[in-house]
Amino acid sequence: MISGIDTTVYDARSLPADDNVNPYAFSIDLNGEWFTSKGAMIAYYGSIDFSAVSAYASRAAWVAARFSSPLYAQEWVVASGRGKLVIGDRGNDINSYDLADGNLTIKQTNLLAFETGLELKQSIVPGFVTLIGTGKFLASSNGPVIFVEPPFRADPEALLGWADCPSPSVHYDYNWMAHSLVAGIQSIFGRESGEERQYDFTGAGTVLLQSSEVQRHDPALLRIVEAQTTLLDNQSAGQLGQRLVARSQQQ
Amino acid sequence: MPFEKINSKVVRIAVTPQQAVLARRGAMLGYSGQVAFRPISGQGHGVGGMVGAAMSGESNPMMATEGNGSVLYGFRGLHVTVLDLTGDSLTVEADRILAHDAHLQTSVEFIGQGGVRSAVRGAMTGQGLFTTRLSGHGSVALLSHGGTFPLQLTGDTVGVDPQAYVGHVGALNVDLKASVGLRDLVGRGSGEAFQLHVSGHGTVYVQASEEKF
Repeated sequence: MISGIDTTVYDARSLPADDNVNPYAFSIDLNGEWFTSKGAMIAYYGSIDFSAVSAYASRAAWVAARFSSPLYAQEWVVASGRGKLVIGDRGNDINSYDLADGNLTIKQTNLLAFETGLELKQSIVPGFVTLIGTGKFLASSNGPVIFVEPPFRADPEALLGWADCPSPSVHYDYNWMAHSLVAGIQSIFGRESGEERQYDFTGAGTVLLQSSEVQRHDPALLRIVEAQTTLLDNQSAGQLGQRLVARSQQQ
Repeated sequence: MPFEKINSKVVRIAVTPQQAVLARRGAMLGYSGQVAFRPISGQGHGVGGMVGAAMSGESNPMMATEGNGSVLYGFRGLHVTVLDLTGDSLTVEADRILAHDAHLQTSVEFIGQGGVRSAVRGAMTGQGLFTTRLSGHGSVALLSHGGTFPLQLTGDTVGVDPQAYVGHVGALNVDLKASVGLRDLVGRGSGEAFQLHVSGHGTVYVQASEEKF
């Protein structure tokens, strides 16, 4: 016995069923399929097969109906089979949420796994996805999740998600903008100097926040931005390209 | 209590027209009520503060939070420690300040006895030669990696790793001790060649990590 250390030893039976092992790890009692984010699995017992969403969709047509986000298809796998599946994310707190015929929008890089009763869709807000339906899902947060009610304005980096309330609008702090313009902080690219931009929530619902973290690279972000450039005509696209080249040479 | 810790990494601060808050830029997580943010440059007030800020290389961009409402602050998932000052003064590296009451007096200063020794210490901690001194009556929220714990000093001396040192309250003397021997020169040192020796009466705050930021 080692003193001062939690010496609980788990096996396939004693691992919790659909519950947290500790604040940073969650054990799924798998019997069927779950969608899991690539790299979220840290351990498993039993016979569980992990296959890419695209590969699995070719065998089971329902997957395409549930996972209606081609943008993120490369970042997700289907875990199928029976056993205990332990999920973790860089030591962040793991929370499980139950949706009953509801909807919740969450930051894509924080969503770790969801049951097949839920449907994944891309949110209008870039980098966020919406879950609709009934079932359980797992999401990570840096520190415990803070729940607040609208009216509330949230920093985009600290925003984890929202449920039941309308999608946010963007609020620009007039005071900050005026000072930034005078001080010449604003760069040509509109790069942001701090707190001038917030997401403004109104209506009834719940807003989820975390302590802002060092942002994780979202592999889909480039594709999101690139898709938006189809709005530009050829001349504007050329100008944008030149500016981007200039920026990449500056750094 | 104007500073309320929601969890280990987030603090909620009530802002009123009488009580503005200065905070690190980019540390606001969200707010409710009529609150406005204004970027300010430089720590401290007056010419001394301006010069200090310029000399220390403008270590820490700050902003003022004014209006009426409640604001959540946190930064990069770092742990938050709230200290209440009642007339005493806190000395801390500027980039560890998450937020503080606007009516606390701040000044940028050169800690220690001055001279080459302090300069060496600044170079070793890698956090600049200058620290910020906060004094008056009010609250301060500090950032640390993994949380802080206080070490009480009543006339004795404690050795602290420069990277683990967060700040101190009270009349304390901070001194850098270098014990560089032959083994360090040939790369077989203990890795603890530099230590801060703190002595006097007061409290030293130490983080349980050697990670800098």
